[in-house]
Amino acid sequence: MTSGALSADKHGGGAPPPRKPHIELPFLLDFVPLQDEGSTQVSRFFSALKEGRFETTRCTACDTLLFQPRTTCPECMSTELRWEELPQSGRIYAFSAMLMGAPIGMEKDLPFVLGLIDLDGVGLRIFSRFEGGSYEDFAIGQRMRLRVHTFPDGRVTYRFAPAADTFPLQAKA
Amino acid sequence: MDKVAIVAGGTSRFGVRNLTWRELLQEAAAATFDAESRILPKEIDTLVVGAAEPERFAFQSYVAPLAAETLGMTPKMLLRTELACASGQMALRTAWAHIASGLCDVALVAGVEKMNLPNMAETQASMACVLDREWEGLHGASAPPFFAMCAQRHMHSYGTTVEQMAKVVEKNHHYSTFNPTAHFTKEVPMDKVLRSPMVAPPLRLFDCSGITDGAAIAILAREAIVPDLTDTPLWVHGWGQANQGFRTGAIGDLASWPAMSLAAREAYRNARVSPKDLDVVELHDCFSISEIIAYEQLGFTPEGKGGAFIDEGQSYIGGSTPINTRGGLLGCGHPLGATGVAQVVELFRTLRSEVPPQRQVSGATLAMAHNLSGNANTHSIGIYGLDKPGTAA
Ligand SMILES: [Zn+2]
Repeated sequence: MTSGALSADKHGGGAPPPRKPHIELPFLLDFVPLQDEGSTQVSRFFSALKEGRFETTRCTACDTLLFQPRTTCPECMSTELRWEELPQSGRIYAFSAMLMGAPIGMEKDLPFVLGLIDLDGVGLRIFSRFEGGSYEDFAIGQRMRLRVHTFPDGRVTYRFAPAADTFPLQAKA
Repeated sequence: MDKVAIVAGGTSRFGVRNLTWRELLQEAAAATFDAESRILPKEIDTLVVGAAEPERFAFQSYVAPLAAETLGMTPKMLLRTELACASGQMALRTAWAHIASGLCDVALVAGVEKMNLPNMAETQASMACVLDREWEGLHGASAPPFFAMCAQRHMHSYGTTVEQMAKVVEKNHHYSTFNPTAHFTKEVPMDKVLRSPMVAPPLRLFDCSGITDGAAIAILAREAIVPDLTDTPLWVHGWGQANQGFRTGAIGDLASWPAMSLAAREAYRNARVSPKDLDVVELHDCFSISEIIAYEQLGFTPEGKGGAFIDEGQSYIGGSTPINTRGGLLGCGHPLGATGVAQVVELFRTLRSEVPPQRQVSGATLAMAHNLSGNANTHSIGIYGLDKPGTAA
């Protein structure tokens, strides 16, 4: 990968020690990935998301847009990747909901809606939790918009909510 | 390549069992062998264990030596195979490859999964980590919502109905009432399916296979040894497998599973047969919609016609292709590593006319076993027959 293009921290040399998130379950039952520079080469994905940007990598050698962000291009094996911002809007391709049987740590979230979003214009289909409604409130083809979800310990992920949704950016309590 | 046949097999009872991982294995062994057996485990040179997540469900890795000691074996070749829901079939295929290539003579294949834990949410977490945990699992992804989306798209594209899915459940539970080793042994009529609690819309509780403990064993042998071990072997005729993607967004249109038709095409080509030649099929009905999509992708009916296929009764005994006469995953439950082996034990018995008459496909000589794994991105198929490969009329 180009110097500094993907991540400030390079393999091995001088990486800061992992900043431990606050994990209540045993670590190997915690679903949220470690996101800091000491744990992953794509920590920029998460730091960008914290600032409201939805980014992934594109291969500078063969121009393939890659999601999730990579460190090696699966098409041409190049490590020359650069960060690129993705659209934050799209349409629902399919969805369902979890009404029972949630994995450990997510029981309190029940019921929740999940589905696939076709991002506008980039040919990417992204799986995500939905916010802003219950199962009956969503439909195939509905326009959706990305929202940043912050876990209690500060780690982040993306979720999608109806594009016309008007309630505040922070998730409902 | 040597020809290879299945010469014996047996399963534990499937269900919520008061048995540990190693006790499930012992129950399957007792169902496979007795003092009269022509071969005992201690005389078998190879052991392949199919187990998806013993680390998660039994806090135990390195299970091949555990299984060897438990069965009294000191094999010269042993290993474990893992491909989630297809772990058992991959154990069979790995054993076949070792025998066919001349590396060993006889193999014991054991599929084992202990899934019921004191904390069901922990079991669900272990099921969910079969999917892409970092990028999709953290959203709460697991099997039911994925297959629910497949059902939604199949209904959207082809007009498939929840009643048609419920008919699949009714059929497979009907056959499992004649299978004393099944997890579920009562009839589940359509209206009971349609009134059961919603799990992941449009899928209800009975649209989903159970969380089940179970084990199954099959013995495979090279051609020269087969006559010493059984008079009626089940020959391996061919394999097919295909994978497309891992994360849910990469699987395609969900209403069709292209990897499944690719795997089927390879299996049919390798076995030199076509879909209409199959007398009985064990396929991976982890959810009711999976069986409907499988009717289409395996070539029994055109894409979009899977709902009509069950409406017409084509997958019942007496129809064009009897399917899941064991009771399927819906009726028997789905102990991940055991399922693929138990399916083939069922084909072994069916083609030898050893199952109860209510689930016997009379005169069956050619059969298929199919497993999907994960979010249906990988499909694995084996074709088996009573005739030695290359000798069929
Ligand atoms: Zn490239």
